[in-house]
Amino acid sequence: MIEGTLVDLVPFEDDFATHLESWMNEEAWFRMNLWDRREPHPEDAVKKYIESMEKKENAALIGFQTKSGDPIGGLIYDHEWSRVRKVEISFFAGDTRYEGTDEVLDGLLMLVRYCFETRNMHRLDAVALAFDEAKIDALRRAGFVHEGTLRQHIRWEGDYVDVEAFGLLEDEWPGYAAKIETLDLQPSDLEPKPKPEKKPEDEKKLAS
Amino acid sequence: MLEGLLVDLVPYNKRFLDLEHIWRNNDSAFWSSGGDRYIVSRATIQRKAEEWAEEAERQGPARSVMFGVQTKDGIPIGFFALNWLLLHSRLAMLGARIGDPTYWGGGYGTDALLLLVDYAFDWLDMRKVWLGTTSTNARVMRQMEKVGFRLEIRERQQAWQDGTWADGLIYGLLRDEWPGRDAVIERIGLRARDGGDVR
Repeated sequence: MIEGTLVDLVPFEDDFATHLESWMNEEAWFRMNLWDRREPHPEDAVKKYIESMEKKENAALIGFQTKSGDPIGGLIYDHEWSRVRKVEISFFAGDTRYEGTDEVLDGLLMLVRYCFETRNMHRLDAVALAFDEAKIDALRRAGFVHEGTLRQHIRWEGDYVDVEAFGLLEDEWPGYAAKIETLDLQPSDLEPKPKPEKKPEDEKKLAS
Repeated sequence: MLEGLLVDLVPYNKRFLDLEHIWRNNDSAFWSSGGDRYIVSRATIQRKAEEWAEEAERQGPARSVMFGVQTKDGIPIGFFALNWLLLHSRLAMLGARIGDPTYWGGGYGTDALLLLVDYAFDWLDMRKVWLGTTSTNARVMRQMEKVGFRLEIRERQQAWQDGTWADGLIYGLLRDEWPGRDAVIERIGLRARDGGDVR
């Protein structure tokens, strides 16, 4: 676990893996993966996705949760390019009650911290659908700079929508601790959700 | 075959693959990769080509389309490709390399580009084509402006080239901004050459 201010970063397993079976079929997931069609993801596709992210050396899927252990969603870095020290980052609030909250912002800040301060990246790339105001707001508050617009780039609900592109450079990042001091992050104090139901085979695994 | 004024786009086959050892070890790879300098053996090129062919077969023709570029005399000079087709968004990402520097700056790449854009819009029914280059690639930047692409993103310090940072540039062209190949050829004054190719 890596501890943040409002959230902690944890391996994407256990309850996160169970939650992902529904999260991967919901709006926040499709919005984050702007390239994605809205195809349904059955359970085995979800498992395969988690496995594929585990195997990749230049990518990771990380869970983030409240201080009381309530899973919020996922933080992703992908296509890490070692020669240029560049990586693409994205994030989603699977528990949509947290969308636009400081918990999600702290998750993003922790991801940025991890990329710059642990993985020694030089540049982070991020994109957001033009209408995804919560995501764009979080990116701006984290310090990302708007670098352009991919015009009419993605088919979305019968229309072609713009994609906003952002970048953050290592010398623009003051460090996690200094950044937190400027933000006055406040917890949402949402009630923890009930734990996801375990399926019989999961129970068997636990028992054995 | 897609027939142009200076080049034709043809199936990318062994004639092209046999030249990749030269092309990937020269400056053309630096420009097409955004600043990498490869030192790559024939065996590696062959292995990568086999992996690429397997992947292309697995994904099917809907995912990418690759052409070899040859002069009107049939000399292979590089490749032009729709590297990534996103069909439900009707979006095509272009990738290209004129591997033989003799053919840089003479309109050969531009002719190939016009053929490929026309193919993407008129045959594959794409709605947008896009591509990336770097802020140090003056030839491609001029070409983009000439052909009518718009600069959509300037990714600061996205590329590391010979010890310094360069910006990444993403260009896009929408179908309703494309007047058609003939009109662009007329506007930019691209002409077939009498007496064959420069060489």
